[in-house]
Amino acid sequence: MSRWRSITRAIPNLLTNVRGLVGMFRDRQARQFIARSLRHHWRINLAVALGVSAATAVLTGALLIGDSTRGSLRQLTLDRLGSIDEVLITDRFFRQEMAAQIASNEQFKANYRAAAPAILFPQGTVATVPENGSPARAGNVLVLGIESSFWELGSGPQAEKLTAEEGEIILNEPLARDLKAKVGSRVILRLPADQQVHADSPMGDKDNRVRSIPELTVSAIIPAEGLGQFSLRSSQGQPRNAYIALPTLQEELRQEEKVNAILVTGKSSNEPPTEEASQSLSSLLQPELEDYGLLIKPVSLDYQTDNGETRTVLSYFSLSSQRLMIDEKTEAVAQQAFSQVGGQAVLTYLANSMVKLTPKGSPAGDELVPYSLISAIDSQEQLGPLKDEAGQVIEDIEDGKVVINSWLAEDLKLSPGDHIRVTFFESETDYGESSAAEPVDLEVQAIVPLTEPDKPFGGRRPALFREPPTLVNDPDLTPEVPGVTDRRSINDWDLPFKLKHRIRGQDDDYWNHYRTTPKAFVSMKTGQELWSSRFGRVTSFRIPAAEGITAKSLGKQFVQQVQQSGEALGFEFIPVKRKALDASRGATPFDGLFLSLSFFVIAAGLMLVSLLFRLGVEQRANEIGTLLAVGTRRQQVAYLLVGEGIGVACLGALLGIAAGIGYAQLMLLGLRTWWIGAVVSPFLDFHWTVRSLMIGYGLGVLTSIITIAWSVSRTREASVRQLLSGRTSELSYQPPSQNKSKFTLITILLLSALVLATIAAIPSIATKLGSEGQAGAFLGAGALVLTALLIIIAGRLKRTSASETTLVRSPLLPRFAARNASRNAGRSTVTIGLVASACFLIASMSAFRLDPSQAGKGGFEMVARSSLPIYIDLNDQQQREEFFGDESQELSGTTIFPLRFQPGDDASCNNLYKARQPRVIGITPDMIAHFNTAEVPFSWAGSAAVGDQESNPWTLLATDSTSHAGTEEDPLPVVIDKNTAMYSLQLWGGVGQSYSVDYEDGRTIHFEVVGLLANSILQGSLLISEADFEHHYPDVSGYRYFLIDTGTKNSDQAAQVLENRFSDEGFDTRSTDELLASLLQVQNTYLSAFQSLGALGLLLGTFGLATVQLRNVLERRSELALMRSSGFARQRLATMVMLEHSILLLGGLATGIFASLVTVLPHWFSGGAAIPGTRLIIDLLVILVVGLLAGLAAVAATLRAPMISALRGD
Amino acid sequence: MSTLSVTNVSKQFPTRGEPLQVLRDVSLEMKAGENLAILGPSGCGKSTLLHLLGTLDAPTSGTIKLNDQDPFSLEESQLARFRNENIGFIFQEHHLLPQLSVLENVLVPAMATGTPSEELVQRAHDLINRVGLESRLSHRPAELSGGERERAAVARSLLHRPLLLLADEPTGNLDRTNAQQVAQLLLEIQQQEQTMLVVVTHNNELADQLQKQTTLDNGQLS
Repeated sequence: MSRWRSITRAIPNLLTNVRGLVGMFRDRQARQFIARSLRHHWRINLAVALGVSAATAVLTGALLIGDSTRGSLRQLTLDRLGSIDEVLITDRFFRQEMAAQIASNEQFKANYRAAAPAILFPQGTVATVPENGSPARAGNVLVLGIESSFWELGSGPQAEKLTAEEGEIILNEPLARDLKAKVGSRVILRLPADQQVHADSPMGDKDNRVRSIPELTVSAIIPAEGLGQFSLRSSQGQPRNAYIALPTLQEELRQEEKVNAILVTGKSSNEPPTEEASQSLSSLLQPELEDYGLLIKPVSLDYQTDNGETRTVLSYFSLSSQRLMIDEKTEAVAQQAFSQVGGQAVLTYLANSMVKLTPKGSPAGDELVPYSLISAIDSQEQLGPLKDEAGQVIEDIEDGKVVINSWLAEDLKLSPGDHIRVTFFESETDYGESSAAEPVDLEVQAIVPLTEPDKPFGGRRPALFREPPTLVNDPDLTPEVPGVTDRRSINDWDLPFKLKHRIRGQDDDYWNHYRTTPKAFVSMKTGQELWSSRFGRVTSFRIPAAEGITAKSLGKQFVQQVQQSGEALGFEFIPVKRKALDASRGATPFDGLFLSLSFFVIAAGLMLVSLLFRLGVEQRANEIGTLLAVGTRRQQVAYLLVGEGIGVACLGALLGIAAGIGYAQLMLLGLRTWWIGAVVSPFLDFHWTVRSLMIGYGLGVLTSIITIAWSVSRTREASVRQLLSGRTSELSYQPPSQNKSKFTLITILLLSALVLATIAAIPSIATKLGSEGQAGAFLGAGALVLTALLIIIAGRLKRTSASETTLVRSPLLPRFAARNASRNAGRSTVTIGLVASACFLIASMSAFRLDPSQAGKGGFEMVARSSLPIYIDLNDQQQREEFFGDESQELSGTTIFPLRFQPGDDASCNNLYKARQPRVIGITPDMIAHFNTAEVPFSWAGSAAVGDQESNPWTLLATDSTSHAGTEEDPLPVVIDKNTAMYSLQLWGGVGQSYSVDYEDGRTIHFEVVGLLANSILQGSLLISEADFEHHYPDVSGYRYFLIDTGTKNSDQAAQVLENRFSDEGFDTRSTDELLASLLQVQNTYLSAFQSLGALGLLLGTFGLATVQLRNVLERRSELALMRSSGFARQRLATMVMLEHSILLLGGLATGIFASLVTVLPHWFSGGAAIPGTRLIIDLLVILVVGLLAGLAAVAATLRAPMISALRGD
Repeated sequence: MSTLSVTNVSKQFPTRGEPLQVLRDVSLEMKAGENLAILGPSGCGKSTLLHLLGTLDAPTSGTIKLNDQDPFSLEESQLARFRNENIGFIFQEHHLLPQLSVLENVLVPAMATGTPSEELVQRAHDLINRVGLESRLSHRPAELSGGERERAAVARSLLHRPLLLLADEPTGNLDRTNAQQVAQLLLEIQQQEQTMLVVVTHNNELADQLQKQTTLDNGQLS
């Protein structure tokens, strides 16, 4: 109660004191007194000011480091983007003239300056053509097909015109360095081929997906500055770029006058245009239907009468996609655009076989119809196509039923009511292999007649009918598939899979007469259940022809509908500059991190301030005593001292600002050089803001004044008599205090510290705290332990001081020294505290140094990424033999887990930018199953696993075939590395926290953290199930991320085989040891930086220690002289002083180490810290040696002290 | 029998101008059990002479011998040992170590060379009894009166039974009563211990109690 009362009294007291201080400053005399005191005692005031400046410097420096990180990232962003503000990049080629069209738009001109067409391939591979030896390769190279005007978009040396002529290529320095290429070197460029049909669909070509551009000569190597480090990804790492002339690239890719990107420049190179301008930019584009990869063609079913007249049975327009399947967004737009004019969706699929079934459900004989097309379609009056003999539309094909054409009915001798079995491939492939789906049995609901043409198809000529064709006589129900629909014979089909069934004579006849005319029809519902995929649900749209409707007008109608719907269908501009500038504000708040980790250094600085100020006051005890003796009120004296302290603090903080700038510069120099591992690239420059300087100054002054005021309040304990005799305290017997309350306080402090340390150590809780929170909890725990220890030490020192134990016993000198050290318990405690703070920081940071662990690698020796997807099952022995031939032996015993990979921002600690769209990895069921029995599982920092799942938390990602919606209600389960979650994504909620990613196409995908990996190689990515991946990233095909367990094999050999065989795909392996070391290096390097802060604290501690010892020697010089007069040899006295010094130093070291031990212990148990080895011992030895050297100053002073004058009291 | 022989001792200190001649050809002789008061005005060089006798400072010229040994021929550590064993000091400022008890303060000369032996501890107890501080054995200097502090300093100076006891204004900070008590005690013990005692003072009352008085004037004894 009394404590509470004292707290409640403290506030009005504080206000009274502030008023008193203000009043004092109004008094001219008081001001003069303070000014003269400041001048007179300038030496000690300077020392105090230096202490203040140390604390202010660390405060300000931390804030400036934050400014510098943000400023440098911003500068880097502006430098690498030049004046480019917005980028349109699509996954297909569109007309180059769209760039000129948008640039001529008046609304565009209001906000933007220019639009430059370009071809961008973020995943190119460049390989050298070696004169001899093996080629050097670099994957994931950003390849830019540019016009020479591109360089005008940037600043710096690249503003000069660099032109890559035909057959030439320009490399930036990081790429040239990796390739060891020089000007004149020849390189091969490998890019993804423009394959329209999705590679993961059965019709997609998996083999010819790389387009090689050979024999390009390196015409220039440009530094990674300005547009020489152009990148669409926010990362401070230097990108590897290759620049090639746009026409050359267009020609090589056979995309004349087409591009896949537009670079838009704003009017200011430093500030992006407004958000409204960005949002309206996409609407200014004028894409045409072909730019969307769509095609509308007129179709008519005609026949010629005997008199040569052409009559039309049906005419309509067919909208189809170059990609075979129409994706869902395009389908939705098409539905909106054409449903009112009778638009009809069609899904046509290839059946591998159709056989007639007996009533018992078994195949009726060996006869089967191979490779037929089946259309899923809901018939309608105008377009049919299914009408019965009476001409009535067969509107509903019932579930489980099929309508067949008369040809099929005849071929398999089918009648309504009979059943057929249809086999087909799954609509999505596994590892590029088309796998047979479960056959489906269908009952024949009806037979629709097919008119046989008078003349079959011939070359490009359609079949000629003399009789009116029926509505099912329509080969255009099947979209065009190059290599299939344009072939004369089924045997000529160029398919990505082998034809297994025999092609009969009648099948070829059918092809000749009817080509791709479907033989069977199911309802759209049935068809989509069987054959829809992540690539789409329909293959074409049929729009009835009408008066005035043309393919062009329908195209316009579609484009208009796109704009009205708000969908961009891939034509979304990315506000790269705005997003990068947002991201440049950084994932890790450096100022906060440095501030929290500088806490002990700041505390050390303030302790030094307190120590020095008290020394100053003690030195002036006589003066204070005189003031009191002549009737000045104690409070008034205190105000004068505090007033002087304010002056010192203000001056010291000014010095601190300057020192802080120097300190920040030094730290930045460190981050550019010896701590480069923490920031990957030496990009950090000094930046400052007035705000940081003001905050640093204000906090420095405020904390120092509080410290000084506290120090002054302590002098009130001294009596006037003591003060007049030159002492603020006098050694006298003090009865043992009631230690109960002190014991309680120490217990509370230690328990609180343990709780805080444990909170900081338990990953699931620590993650919730965030990086700063965790650091704060850890350091808070450390501060509490230190405080408790210092209270114990202070008590112990007081007891020693008051001890009645005699010095008569051996060893005398250490006892004597201990008695001396305890003589001014407060001073010694603060000194020990100073050293202990630095030691704590150094020792505890050592414990967090991590080395790569087996658990961090999950048992994998290598990780690999490819520029282009790989489609084969690398674990299938047969496929290995096919691909690798004899070299497959090198892979025996090697397990490879190919994983889906969506490129994105690196969210690992290596990236200082905030990851907006982290890369995503799809974890396959094989990998999840692997960890059921894996010898070396990944280490988990936390997971939502319960029960059986706990043995393999990866099963949290194992879902049945259905995927999650990715909505707030049904988020995707995601596993993230804890470091990625905490530092990059700032997911402090840990397991169970939701996280969402916004994509340019307007999608927002919601994730929910179900597991956190601990210090793993999988840092920087979101890990979701393959099923969810396929659903939400449908455009990503194949596998680009690989985890490789070589077993007992030599991993280098396996790496070589894989890299050689997949050189076109830019397969790049990396040792997991190296990868993990580089990831942990970030943490370890930060620790080094923070240990350096500890070293700074140590410097302050040493300074304090030396000051205290010097002061002690000076203060006791008469005593020392007496001892010498009593026969103490100088050496013996020096030894005694050194012992005193060592006691304080060792006390500080022991206190710091103990506090560190208590605080780090929970982290050891949780695996977050390691037992520091020789490094810590060396560090502590260095501290000891430095500390002892500092003691030599006091020893020297002892040896130099004049005896006689000291004895005289001079 | 122990003797003190001071022959033609001069002491000068360097200054910005001419060296300051503090002592000129000072000579004196003493034997065990003798005591001597040196009088003189402030700044006449009394304390300087005392410091020379106590080997705290070396003469510019002349010799000082204690028991025929010239301490200034010894090296620093030997000199410290010599001082420790043969000379006792009593200062106007008692110079007690505030962190030590009375007993420990008395034992300080013993501590100079190691851990005090049982014999010395016993002697310290005896001396403390003799100066009347037996009830203050474990008290700190801050807990003593001025007279008590001075008495403790007297006890300390006698621990090693020094041949020569030097006192610099031993009663300078004491009131008359205390000054008398301390002076009496000092002389009593000096006689008991048969040590040579040199007292520097400008207190005639104290000087009168000593066997011999001499005045230092203009750097010379008269």
